Amino acid sequence: MSAIAAGGRDFLRWLGGATRRQLRFTLMLVGAGWGVLKEAARPNSWRRTVRLEFREALRQATGGGLISTLFVAALTGFGIVAQAVYWLNIVGMAQTTDSLLATVLVREIAPVLVGVILLGRTGMLGLTQTGMLTLGGQMRALQSEGIDPFLMFVMPRTLAMTVSSFSLGILFSAVSLSVGYIVCWVESIETMPIWTFLYDVVCAMDPIDYLGIPLKFLFSGFFVSLSCCLTGMDATQDDSVATLLPRGFARGILVLMIINVALTVGVA
Amino acid sequence: MSHYWGATVEMAQARPISDDMGLLSVSYNFRLMPGDCALIRSRDVQRTALFADLCSGMIPLRSGTLRCMGLEWSKLNERRSWALRGRIGRVAQSGSWIDLFDTHMNILMPQLHHTRSPTDELIARATQLSANFGLPGLPVLPPSRLGALDLRRAALVRAFLGEPDLLLLEEPVGTDNPDLMSAFLAALTRARDAGTAVIWFARDEVVWQPYRDQATHCLRLLDEGLFPMRGTP
Repeated sequence: MSAIAAGGRDFLRWLGGATRRQLRFTLMLVGAGWGVLKEAARPNSWRRTVRLEFREALRQATGGGLISTLFVAALTGFGIVAQAVYWLNIVGMAQTTDSLLATVLVREIAPVLVGVILLGRTGMLGLTQTGMLTLGGQMRALQSEGIDPFLMFVMPRTLAMTVSSFSLGILFSAVSLSVGYIVCWVESIETMPIWTFLYDVVCAMDPIDYLGIPLKFLFSGFFVSLSCCLTGMDATQDDSVATLLPRGFARGILVLMIINVALTVGVA
Repeated sequence: MSHYWGATVEMAQARPISDDMGLLSVSYNFRLMPGDCALIRSRDVQRTALFADLCSGMIPLRSGTLRCMGLEWSKLNERRSWALRGRIGRVAQSGSWIDLFDTHMNILMPQLHHTRSPTDELIARATQLSANFGLPGLPVLPPSRLGALDLRRAALVRAFLGEPDLLLLEEPVGTDNPDLMSAFLAALTRARDAGTAVIWFARDEVVWQPYRDQATHCLRLLDEGLFPMRGTP
């Protein structure tokens, strides 16, 4: 009887340990997310160092990701928008083009692609920087100077990437639709003016999309940056850049997918 | 400069929780008044850094009390702890330079973060201190591109900038550069005259020999705790 009880206890211990390990990062993400919002609301948090870091992170994320975003948006416009318009015209379903583009491109593809660009270009950089600072002991040195690394790095970078994600997302949508239109116009598939084309796509969006799409862009940038920063700051002495980068990338992609699916299901 | 005239650092039976890190969990009793200077010989670099961390309230206590400028670290909330650490100038042995920023930003960062002093004024003060410590100006190169001696000078500029209430100096100068030593001792004297308490750690007591008579405490930091040295003033 006692052996069964001991076995039961061991199983429960293993189950509890495994659950805690699996949920640890998720709970950290939720807690840190709340922390970022709470700190950002305090005027006293926006000290000169934090403002400088925010400006630099915004420049890095938006400026650094601009060319990549424009390039991917152009490719998407060429590959998806033009193809969709062309084939829907061929099969005589041209009237569904606008709603299809609004649903597929603006609501689903743009947030994911912009999120991946930001994760690769800015998130991984942030992860490497915070990871190296943690492993090199500089985070502790910052603490000894009375500078909270969360306030100094996590909050400004997360907010900068949130702003950046929204800006680049809107730009991505506009550019991909425009390039798609231009390709169709050159091929004489589309004859209406570009403003009419864009207006039709905008009108094809559901009212709820005006909430869902911005939220997707904002949440993607917010949580991708947060997950990268936290992965870097959570590094232990057993870690190196070689172990941190794959972990951060996997977490970033997972966060991105969960946000997109959750908002698609929740807001649609 | 604050107007607190009680003990700057006060440890009463303070036992840190740090058995696994190099600082044994023994009781520390130590009191440092404003303007005092404690010379502490410690041969172990890691132990020195941990003791400085202990003074900065970064290591929790198993028992006893540890106060800094009358405030007990364990009773301060996080924001007040960060603010209090902002009143401490420190020269650390390792990991104190952040390569993401240039050296001048590393130097100015604590003051930019904790104070509202105009940036131009901070830069002017840092430039003056840099000149005092033998630098041609406020160094703007990344820390990785500065030599060891210039980094040591820059570390001193950062520690003394902003007139801190407490200076924790881990091996701030060697015996190999008399000019830097003179500049350092002059800055140290000025700081003490203004009420700054100083803890100067060194591996070898030869370094502080010219200053020993002016110190208020001469101690050894061992595994077993802090002990007075022979001939303590």
